[in-house]
Amino acid sequence: MIRMLLRVLGDEYARAMRRTVILMTITAVVEGLSYALLVPVLRALLGGTPADAVPWLAAFGAVVALYAVLRYISDLSGMRVGTTMLRGMYHRLGEHLARLPLGWYNAGRIGEVSILASRGLLQAMGVAAHLLAPFISALVTPLTIVAVMAAFNWRIGLAASLAVPLVAVIQGWTARATAVADAERHERDTEATGRVIEYLQAQPVLRAGGRTGERFRLLDDSLREAQRASRRTVLSVLPGMIGLTLVVQAMFTVLLTLGAYLALGGSIGAAEILAILVLAARCADPLLSLSDIGGKLRGARSELARLETVLRTEPLPEPPEPIQPAHHGLEFDAVTFRYGERTVLDKVSLTVPEGQRLAVVGPSGTGKSTLLQLLARFYDVDSGAVRVGGVDVRAISTEELTARIAIVFQDVYLFDGTIEDNVRLGRPDADEVEVRAAATAARLDEVIERLPGGWATNVGEGGTLLSGGERQRVSIARALLKDAPIVLLDEVTSALDPVNEVAVHEGIERLMAGRTVVMVAHRMRTVQRADRVVFLDGGRIVEEGGHDELLDHGGRYADFWNISMAPSAQGRG
Amino acid sequence: MTIPIDEDRRTTTTDLTRLAERSMTRLLRPHLRGFTAVVLLQVVGALAGLAPLLAVVELGRALLAPGPVDHDHVWTVVIAGAAGLLVRLLFTAASSGIGHVLDGRVQLTFRRQLAASLGRVPIGWFSRRRTGELAKVVGEDVSAVHPFIAHAPGELVAAFVVPLVSLIYLFTVDWRLTLITLIPVVLAMALVPLLMLPARTREQEAYDAAMGRIASSVVEFVQGISVVKAFGGGERAHRTFLTAADDFVSVFSRWVRGMSVIAAGMQLALSPPFVLLVVLVGGTALIISGGLAPADLLPFPLLGLGLTAPVAALGHGFDDLQSAGRAVNRIKDVLAVRPLPEPTHPRPPRGHRVELRGVRFAYDTGHEVLRGIDLVLEPGTVTAVVGPSGSGKSTLAQLLPRFFDPTHGSVLLGGVDLREIDNRELYRQVSFVFQDVRLLRASVADNIALAVPRAGRHDVVRVARLAGIHDRVLRLPRGYDTVLGEEAKLSGGEAQRISIARALLADAPVLVLDEATSFADPQTEQAVRRALAALQGDRTILVIAHRLETVADADTVVVLEDGAIVERGVPADLLTRDGRFAAFWRSHQSAETHGGAPRGDEPR
Repeated sequence: MIRMLLRVLGDEYARAMRRTVILMTITAVVEGLSYALLVPVLRALLGGTPADAVPWLAAFGAVVALYAVLRYISDLSGMRVGTTMLRGMYHRLGEHLARLPLGWYNAGRIGEVSILASRGLLQAMGVAAHLLAPFISALVTPLTIVAVMAAFNWRIGLAASLAVPLVAVIQGWTARATAVADAERHERDTEATGRVIEYLQAQPVLRAGGRTGERFRLLDDSLREAQRASRRTVLSVLPGMIGLTLVVQAMFTVLLTLGAYLALGGSIGAAEILAILVLAARCADPLLSLSDIGGKLRGARSELARLETVLRTEPLPEPPEPIQPAHHGLEFDAVTFRYGERTVLDKVSLTVPEGQRLAVVGPSGTGKSTLLQLLARFYDVDSGAVRVGGVDVRAISTEELTARIAIVFQDVYLFDGTIEDNVRLGRPDADEVEVRAAATAARLDEVIERLPGGWATNVGEGGTLLSGGERQRVSIARALLKDAPIVLLDEVTSALDPVNEVAVHEGIERLMAGRTVVMVAHRMRTVQRADRVVFLDGGRIVEEGGHDELLDHGGRYADFWNISMAPSAQGRG
Repeated sequence: MTIPIDEDRRTTTTDLTRLAERSMTRLLRPHLRGFTAVVLLQVVGALAGLAPLLAVVELGRALLAPGPVDHDHVWTVVIAGAAGLLVRLLFTAASSGIGHVLDGRVQLTFRRQLAASLGRVPIGWFSRRRTGELAKVVGEDVSAVHPFIAHAPGELVAAFVVPLVSLIYLFTVDWRLTLITLIPVVLAMALVPLLMLPARTREQEAYDAAMGRIASSVVEFVQGISVVKAFGGGERAHRTFLTAADDFVSVFSRWVRGMSVIAAGMQLALSPPFVLLVVLVGGTALIISGGLAPADLLPFPLLGLGLTAPVAALGHGFDDLQSAGRAVNRIKDVLAVRPLPEPTHPRPPRGHRVELRGVRFAYDTGHEVLRGIDLVLEPGTVTAVVGPSGSGKSTLAQLLPRFFDPTHGSVLLGGVDLREIDNRELYRQVSFVFQDVRLLRASVADNIALAVPRAGRHDVVRVARLAGIHDRVLRLPRGYDTVLGEEAKLSGGEAQRISIARALLADAPVLVLDEATSFADPQTEQAVRRALAALQGDRTILVIAHRLETVADADTVVVLEDGAIVERGVPADLLTRDGRFAAFWRSHQSAETHGGAPRGDEPR
């Protein structure tokens, strides 16, 4: 556990952590040793010479004072290390998340990372601040007491130390048994959460079928599965807990019996054996608390494991000697890209000369957006190469590549801030005039006029206070301001109402002028104006050529075009 | 027709809370016997745990007594101590086992109750909640109740009963030393108020706020990561996150520092070495002054330590219990949401003419979205609603399947107010295709047949063909049995076609269709048109229209602006009138020609 913590933390914090552990161990040893003084005190008190107890009692008081100081220092040290680590880990995680490839972030990840970076991290780091001291003390203090007992009477010490290997075996065994059950439980819980979300989102249609509550079997089954898994977890913890209690109690019983036997045989003084039994009682309590602490440690451990998985994910490698692209042409050279088991792109080759426009058309789910993502190096290809200006994107520095490409996505994410902040993101050092010009070109100025706060209007988290079309205009203004030579458009106009569509089209037209463009489009009318069209299906290019050429060809593209054009002519006719 | 629904609306929140509380107690009542067993077993087990300690005490009395030692008595004491340990082991294990199993059952009951209750709230209620938050209530919050159920009853009761019994016993031995033994407990208790000073509460609040800022900045950071990366210089979100993290850490360490001195004082007062020191100092003084027999000292170092248990339990379990309490409150809030009222005497609708009479609707915020709508949808006609975004179109459409009830006025189906129609009956009469399509992680066939669970495969295939998704389904790994989301993922357009197939299969006489800002691809647009054509006949159809061809084909067009109908009539007539509709038509056409004209022809 601690080894895992140290690994996640890195060398930086390992030293402070080790120091804290040593300090806590010393504190626990001092506590155990302080009990040794109880024996002479009790011997004097019970043996009829109470006055002899006073110096021993004074010594005991002194050791308790030492213990108090040590404990305060080690607690404080634990807290300090805990908060320093917390800060360090937040920074480390933040830096790491910013470097991970964009392809790593899918819908599920967002929720997972959000939880991990807020509560998860706190729980994992809480180990040092809250759990470490009780854990160390529960282990070390009893061991010290056993040593003390052995010093007073070797037979009793030997009997007590028999419990040590048993406790160790049981702890190890419980940890393994519960790890399996915990993993299963986590999986079932995730499954159940998924079903709950599904159940909530599909409410309208579920009600139409009368499938709410327990009548929605899929949900109810997963809830019951989650319950069964949690019961299995409990059952897997229980034997360990009982075993531990059994061992500790058996030890106490043995000491009680052995003590009685020795005392009756006269080989040990009554006062002495009673004092030793008081020590034995002190030994049992902390050991019994081990199973409770163990459970909490396991909780922190699974968070730690998740943290480690994220931190171990490799960012895309940076080229050691980056090359500058010579021009703004684009090229796919026999590119194959797999996502899990699925081959998304299968030996795709195509070129876009500088300043030309390529439209990518095809049924949904055939890898169109992936083409754009590979150009921006959200992922790396499995084989073949993607080249920008004749240079493999893997040989261009991230900064250089990002500077050359402007992307407009279908879903626009705006940061919580003013409209101006969000436009400026395109080029933070742009001056006032440039920002205003970009906004006008994207027809964002109309939107801004309508808004109560104008340029300073806050857009809310994710830009929720603006409509989809208005957000799209912000994103186009952003891209215009960036003024990058390569423009990638991903289904930009497919989710707009007519009024916004006109505005967005104008903005897009200005954005595309004189630049190398790759656009994924559903609206066939947008496609018409491309220099070349590729029709993608099943990860392969099935048709390629100019719009008219492909229409004459009468293949898949022509079908697509006819489906989308025919009825609208009918409607107006 | 007026429905006395306004009375209902006035029900106060406290009533609702009480209602929720009653439902919580009702949920727990069947488990009462289990809880009693947990508590009794735990108490007996914990008391039996005192036996070995008392055995040591008795052993002491026997050994220290003047004269020869009574061997038999010694062995009886030893056996009694061992037996006590065994009882303790068995009883606490049984208590813990039953407690955890009970915990699982109670959690299942809670989750089922929440699911049932969420299945009854107005659908509109969901639109203002984050699904993630609700899922958290059903999942994490119910799990957080765990300490309440599995630990609190047994362990807390034991933590108080055992010290109480010990205390009484110690008093019978020597009252003065008992009072001395209580000194550490009193010291610790004296520090408790210091933990609740206003300054501490303020720090706690600052802590919560800082944690909240981290959570929202990380969401922004992660969700906006594509922008952060695509625009290189966008380090803003990253910085916001780190600043929030630093803030949190400094609040956290301030909080910890403020607590740590007091907490350390408490822990020291309750720590075994300190308690033993106090007991032995007191004991030594009493023995030296001759007020205490040496054998009577023995119970105090053995049992005296246990007296600190309640204070320790309070401090220890307090955080867990507090967060469990917060979780319970969130669960209660969800259970307290008023379900969509069900009619006590449902009336069947006669026919499927839909009528809106003086319908007004306002969300909780008070902003009126619909302001007096009168509209009749005749069977066998298509009514298209057009208007700018934010004009209330979607809300209007959602009133028909009763996602909300109107604030004023009424919606009638076949002459009967929707609020008087049985919910199941209503959903059999009204089906809908809305923008956000939700596919379940279930087979394609189940997804299509969701509203008609008894539909045969033949019917499913028929509607899939009509919706233009059949060929795609056949290309899936296991055809109609393919589990979506696991074995295959459908695109947005394909999901929309599944949803159209659903509506076709439901075959309801009233169809509400939100044409959506867009259907994702040409095939889907085609599917919608085919479906509309296939469905016409005697049906009552309401379409929120976005495309000119749909509008042109409609029997009636209604132009909605700012929650009121500004124009209505046959599309061709409206065009000639040159009003709002004509303006809308022109802006559309320009959008289409703008997009459609070949590049060279475009005026620049």
